[in-house]
Amino acid sequence: MVVLSAARWIRSRLTDRFWRKQEVLKYARHFRGRKNRCYKLAVRSVRRAFVKSTKARAEKKKFLRALWITRIGAASLEHGLKYPVFISNLVKSQVELNRKVLADLAIYEPKTFKSLAALAQRRRQEGFLAALGDGKEPEGIFSRIVRHHY
Amino acid sequence: MASYTKAAQQWATFGRAWYLLDAKMQPPGKIAAATVMRLEGKHKPIYHALNDCGDHVVIINTRHIAFSGNKWEQKVYSSHTGYPGGFKQVTATQLHLKDPTAIVKLTVYRMLPKNLQRRTMMQRLHLFPEDVIPEDIQKNLLQEIPQPRAVPKRLDEYTPEEIAAFPRVWTPPKDFRWK
Repeated sequence: MVVLSAARWIRSRLTDRFWRKQEVLKYARHFRGRKNRCYKLAVRSVRRAFVKSTKARAEKKKFLRALWITRIGAASLEHGLKYPVFISNLVKSQVELNRKVLADLAIYEPKTFKSLAALAQRRRQEGFLAALGDGKEPEGIFSRIVRHHY
Repeated sequence: MASYTKAAQQWATFGRAWYLLDAKMQPPGKIAAATVMRLEGKHKPIYHALNDCGDHVVIINTRHIAFSGNKWEQKVYSSHTGYPGGFKQVTATQLHLKDPTAIVKLTVYRMLPKNLQRRTMMQRLHLFPEDVIPEDIQKNLLQEIPQPRAVPKRLDEYTPEEIAAFPRVWTPPKDFRWK
């Protein structure tokens, strides 16, 4: 005979409180002060840390882009060009490299970057010739726009 | 020739260089703009705020800087000693006479980013009123920064040949007199 009702008279107590708190404290172990040990303080700090980390994802993109621009500007100044001149002439020559790649090239592939700077300088001169010349199609080859039909 | 084994080789990329800048007949603001770029390390493609990639800058002839306009009489440098009645205001001329390097030093200090690195960067700035530099600093110098302002020549600094070779718009007749 199975007595199913007796089991229901035993009240169950919470047994895994330790592990529930550990789930939160494990994210607070590198914090400063009592909030890396005490659960009540840690809960607040961990929540704020997660919120800040979420909001920082958009800021990280802005920060990294500004860093790339500084680096590209510094590298192009080494070759005698300013950053806006360099970027605008690269775009006009249909070189669609983004700032991340340009910054990495400036650091790890200096000769490649030098050739890109020379390309931008040449395109700039062709632009001046076209503006100050007769108004006919410029003779230079770097200012010719290539249209790809995919 | 890039390869995975060569990727970690840096040569002297992170070395600290020493630059020389001659401030004779230059506006202190433009001098400071050029030095701040070098002190922060923003002239290097490896720049990062945490990288500590700034260089040393030695500025000579700070006694001979040239403010434009009437700034020698009109520009005022203010400070407060902290005690009551201790507000001091000094014109640029007075400050320059008291200490010939103070104007450039203050200009550079105020142009640097306002963070904890500023004091370290100021320690890497070396100012000299004339062009006399100590031996040990002179041995470290690597390159000279070009002057930001092209110094104009006075009429008596031109040679007679250059004056004769300069094109004239018109030559006045011998009996010409300005009214």
